[in-house]
Amino acid sequence: MSDVPTPGNNREYLSDDALADLLGQALHTVDRMPEHVAAGARAAFTWRTIDTELAELVFDSASGLVGVRSDDVDRQVTFRAPGVEIEVVVIEEGRRRLVGQLVPPSVATIELVGGDDVRSVQTDRLGRFTFDDLPPGPVRLAVLDADGGSTVQTDWVLF
Amino acid sequence: MTDVSTLSPRDVHSAVMDVAALLRRVIEGDQRAWDELVEGFGGLVWSVARGYRLGSLTDDVVQTVWLRLAENCDRIREPDRLAAWLATTTRNEALRVANKQKRLVSVGDLPEHVDATVSGIDELVTDSDTLSHVLQAFAKLSDTDQQLLRLLCTVPPLDYATIADLIDRPIGSIGPSRERCLKKLRRLLGTGFHDATEAHARGKEESQ
Repeated sequence: MSDVPTPGNNREYLSDDALADLLGQALHTVDRMPEHVAAGARAAFTWRTIDTELAELVFDSASGLVGVRSDDVDRQVTFRAPGVEIEVVVIEEGRRRLVGQLVPPSVATIELVGGDDVRSVQTDRLGRFTFDDLPPGPVRLAVLDADGGSTVQTDWVLF
Repeated sequence: MTDVSTLSPRDVHSAVMDVAALLRRVIEGDQRAWDELVEGFGGLVWSVARGYRLGSLTDDVVQTVWLRLAENCDRIREPDRLAAWLATTTRNEALRVANKQKRLVSVGDLPEHVDATVSGIDELVTDSDTLSHVLQAFAKLSDTDQQLLRLLCTVPPLDYATIADLIDRPIGSIGPSRERCLKKLRRLLGTGFHDATEAHARGKEESQ
């Protein structure tokens, strides 16, 4: 390794900062955000919730640190808005099935938004609902009132 | 007015971006301001996400981060810390996906979307010999070394406190780790590289 430029020999030395700049330039040249990802990011703005209560993600079974893993593959999350919680489990059995529960239980229409996919189901009397074949990518749920307007929308989650 | 031609890309970023003003326009519903935010911080989110080797799921992680920001832009209390907020949100989403992949692998169900290559860098080509040498050497570094260097190369830059938090290491270790990683990189580049960088610099001058 005596031929590697170092401060100790006569060859011009590439400093740490210069090398880091070169690496940064290289990474930005070949590994930049693809255009379809940028287009998705720009379009994300159109999904903003206006005048609807946002149910925030308050519990997520998958938010453990690296190395911490549960034996249970099923992902459990809880969203909370004033007056209501939405508990969700995603069951992975080949297909991905989302099973949810409104707390306190109430009868409502639940809408699932993911990509271009918008679906809705009715809860049962105990406030339970199911979506089969969850679409890939981030999804959100909305609780609709009798007029079809959304009263509560959840944050986006990547299941 | 600052002459941006004399500044590094990082300085240019801070010179031209007024994040607080952009966020205010975004909250008022200005799509163009949002597009500017994506333009200014898209590379940062992408770089952080790419450090987790999630293959095609990188796209979903990045999309989730932007949806989260769109939803929560009125809750960003410190616009100066937007880069750190985005990096942390990206890290959290990427880790969830990475943990899930590990669990699936551990029950013997290998997901299709795990990167087949060491880093994904291998497939990428560039016309410049110098840059491709640097990338080839970079691809030989360990995952943790690659991740640290990626975090140190973002535009806009992340401060050491944020980087330390992202990779769960003490802040005092970041400087020495940077030095060690760059030393490894320099060693991997080996002899002859310096001549190539000079040629590259000359090429750049000639093309200007």
